[in-house]
Amino acid sequence: MTDQASGGVTHEDVVCPFCGLGCDDATLKVSGEAVEAGEGVCGRAAALFRRGPEPAPSARVNGRDVPLDVAVSAAAELLAGARSPAYAGLGADVDGVRAILKLAAKTGGSVDHYASPGLYKNLASSQRKGWIATTFAEVRNRCDLFVVVGPDPSKAFHQLYSRVTPKTGRFLTGPRKVVFVGGEPTAEAKAQLDGSTVETIPVPDSGLVDAMSRLQALVAGQAPVAGAPDLAPLAEALKSAKYAVLAWSASSLGDDGDLVVERAVSVVDALNVSTRAACLPLSGKDNLTGAYHVSLWTTGFPLRLGFRDGVSEHDQSAYSTEAALEDADILVWTSAFRPEKPPSSDAQIIAIAHPGTEFEREPDVFIPVGQPGLDHAGLVFRADSVVGLPLKKYRDAGLKSVAEVVTGIAEAQP
Amino acid sequence: MSAVRITNGKVLDPANGEAATLRDVVVVDGRVAAADAAPANAETIDAKGGIVMAGAIDIHSHIAGGKSNISRLLMSEEQRAIREPKGEFCGCGGGLSTMTAHATGCRYAEMGYTAVFEPAMVASNARHMHAEMADIPFLDTGGYLVLGNDDKLLDFIATGASQQEVNDYVAWMLAATKTMAIKIVNPGGINAFKFNQRKLDLDEQNERYGVTPRKVLQTLVKAVKELGLAHPIHLHGCNLGVPGNEQTTLDTIAAAEGLPLHLTHVQFHSYGTEGDRKFSSGAAKIAEAVNKNPNITVDVGQVMFGQTVTASADLMSQYRNRGIATPKRWLGMDMEMDAACGIVPFEYKDKNFVNALQWAIGLELFLLIEDPWRVFLTTDHPNGGPFTTYPHLIKLLMDRSFREEQFARLNKAARKASNLLEIKREYTLEEIAIVTRAAPAKILGLTDRGHLGAGAVGDVVVYREDKDREAMFQKADYVLKDGRVIVKDGEIVDLVYGRTHQVAPDYDKSMDSKMDRWFDEAMGYKAKTFRLSDDEIRGGRGTVRHQTVRAS
Repeated sequence: MTDQASGGVTHEDVVCPFCGLGCDDATLKVSGEAVEAGEGVCGRAAALFRRGPEPAPSARVNGRDVPLDVAVSAAAELLAGARSPAYAGLGADVDGVRAILKLAAKTGGSVDHYASPGLYKNLASSQRKGWIATTFAEVRNRCDLFVVVGPDPSKAFHQLYSRVTPKTGRFLTGPRKVVFVGGEPTAEAKAQLDGSTVETIPVPDSGLVDAMSRLQALVAGQAPVAGAPDLAPLAEALKSAKYAVLAWSASSLGDDGDLVVERAVSVVDALNVSTRAACLPLSGKDNLTGAYHVSLWTTGFPLRLGFRDGVSEHDQSAYSTEAALEDADILVWTSAFRPEKPPSSDAQIIAIAHPGTEFEREPDVFIPVGQPGLDHAGLVFRADSVVGLPLKKYRDAGLKSVAEVVTGIAEAQP
Repeated sequence: MSAVRITNGKVLDPANGEAATLRDVVVVDGRVAAADAAPANAETIDAKGGIVMAGAIDIHSHIAGGKSNISRLLMSEEQRAIREPKGEFCGCGGGLSTMTAHATGCRYAEMGYTAVFEPAMVASNARHMHAEMADIPFLDTGGYLVLGNDDKLLDFIATGASQQEVNDYVAWMLAATKTMAIKIVNPGGINAFKFNQRKLDLDEQNERYGVTPRKVLQTLVKAVKELGLAHPIHLHGCNLGVPGNEQTTLDTIAAAEGLPLHLTHVQFHSYGTEGDRKFSSGAAKIAEAVNKNPNITVDVGQVMFGQTVTASADLMSQYRNRGIATPKRWLGMDMEMDAACGIVPFEYKDKNFVNALQWAIGLELFLLIEDPWRVFLTTDHPNGGPFTTYPHLIKLLMDRSFREEQFARLNKAARKASNLLEIKREYTLEEIAIVTRAAPAKILGLTDRGHLGAGAVGDVVVYREDKDREAMFQKADYVLKDGRVIVKDGEIVDLVYGRTHQVAPDYDKSMDSKMDRWFDEAMGYKAKTFRLSDDEIRGGRGTVRHQTVRAS
């Protein structure tokens, strides 16, 4: 941290909380309330970190500015009369998620994270069958063949290749090979992959399930199934690789993404009989991974929870935000990392949200909250599920955390 | 001042030589105090007809972290079947072998446990584990740091680093992860599996590093001694579950060369190859070796019949076991140049030859190891069975006729292969107090736990005396945590949280820059991001830092 002539402060080695790659070499220039991201920050994160000099907005009830405690009481009152609240968004750090689960246990209602659809495409395999997965540092050092399944995940995980598959790795004996199956690397991805051997295998539209099935048959030594493209060379490369990794971002896979994942898992399964291989399922943004973990250790279930009489149950369809909103009378929207709009519905809205959120319809209660890793310290999880990221506080704009606000609402409950 | 007087109970406190002494136990401001230290108006608990013991300590139970969450995920049927009912002090969790954090605290507390230690804290997952452990009510916790498969340590050893440098590394890692002891899981084997080696015997070399499990073990045993950690190396040895591994275990005991070594879930490492099925009990040999070597302690990892889930850092072994998963699903993960995990759901069946013999081997070990101060009561929760089976296990140990009844139900071939019926020993209540309290406290270096002398923490349990020992230990009449009543008549009546135990031996600060470089180059993020800060442990409150020889 260095003092600038302008009176601002520059913070180095800032941990970025947004996409889940866990970059920790960001630089933030903080001057009063204003924030500019400097070196080490990808374009997307820079936009999310940026703040103007204007003070944070006030809390509002029915569109009118009110003190925080009035907004908290109004939220508590609305929830006290709620028949079926839907807790959605869930863009919060671990403490925020803990607080939301406690409140939901008290009021009843459903809980889901807004970025969870990809998670369930993965769980369709991991929960029912299991898989062999790996983490960033293993990929970085061991993976000699990195196969990207489907669309280039770096659209969501900006610095994926520079962080996870850099030019050199501790156990690599030659250049790393990176193969895109059914996806095309972006120009930026190609630049990050400089020094690796990059190959692209185009797959016809909606042909990814079929391609992965044929690949599975080939690596498992089953009778090859004819089809285009020819995947035999890739199958041979996988079998002779020391540590092949199949990576994907489930949220960018299509409607049949669960089947793509299932086939990719089978490829890895077959490879491990004679060599080593693993999956790298990249999980979602805004601490989806952390919310999933807290949900599991608190309720035993992986999000999409329904609380009734203080007991939770889990249903991937019934307790998705989409389904819950068909019946919900109140939407409790939390989004602390970015100004994400709540989904449209007929429900009343309590928004515990980023101060910059622009609403389609003024919420019944709006409480602006700070961003973990800027306005307060906190814990989020990396997208490979294992590593927790410590976030720090870098400015004081008078914004409370989700945990503080939600705990306040819970305590104000009759 | 808060004060509680427990009166009319028989105090069973083997650490202080008290075998059912009729005396008052007084807790003042959270600590056991002299009988005359409590004011006249102190809250009084009438323990007439009760046995008073210190809070029980579980030295080895997998209660938190990524592997616990994967277990919950894979065991969704169990989660749906067992939900924790709403209560004033209870959360909304459930499960049995895969309990939620909240349920874990409740179920342990009801049985009189007030300290439970997580024996497999993988460094890269430490932040998760601490966050989760903070949500377990009632229990003091702490983690044993998993070392011995981390590429950094193997690299140090392979490149001829001095013992001093290894010690500095170990101390750095303990400080960074806020842990209290060192655990080794399949020394070097998990790492070797990442290089596609499928087994690694004690003297077999890791192909990448040229380092043997023996070398890893001896290096870390020495580090623990020289850093002055209270708890010996907590070892999950090579060849877990492999018939014939009794020889590996005997060789491992010899490899300790007289230095303190704790063999965990030794039941899984006590298998011979005799008989038609090439699977036999090695309990007698292992017990004999333990009896002869006073530097060795063990916990048993008793197998209990029923559905559970096995969760281990030992992916090499779990990969081997994947075919016997019940239900048919399993999940493995290589983790961060550090370790791995493998989660395999499993049902132990009394009519299955192998499972029945595993059950018998565990009991043989309990009964043949003579010194109760060197054997600890565990099921390696959830791997041998959930911790809620402890009262049943205690009854098996204390009640020979009950044991024989249960034995009669076993698979016939297993009965023929076991000598259990020849063992007449029955554990006394005092021995149960040793294996669940006094001895675990001693081996962990917790001088103010596991006993009821003045100055001990105010974790006190009153059990109603009952000839049915299973009923007696299932639900305590009273449990006090730091002097507060948390359980009354077997029910939770208050909500309090425990502390996290850790050690922080000093290290040469040149290790900081070495680790900075390692993280920048190999790990791809910063060592300072990896290191936990004090305020990440229970919000900066509730840490107990134990002294070590190389004090910080």
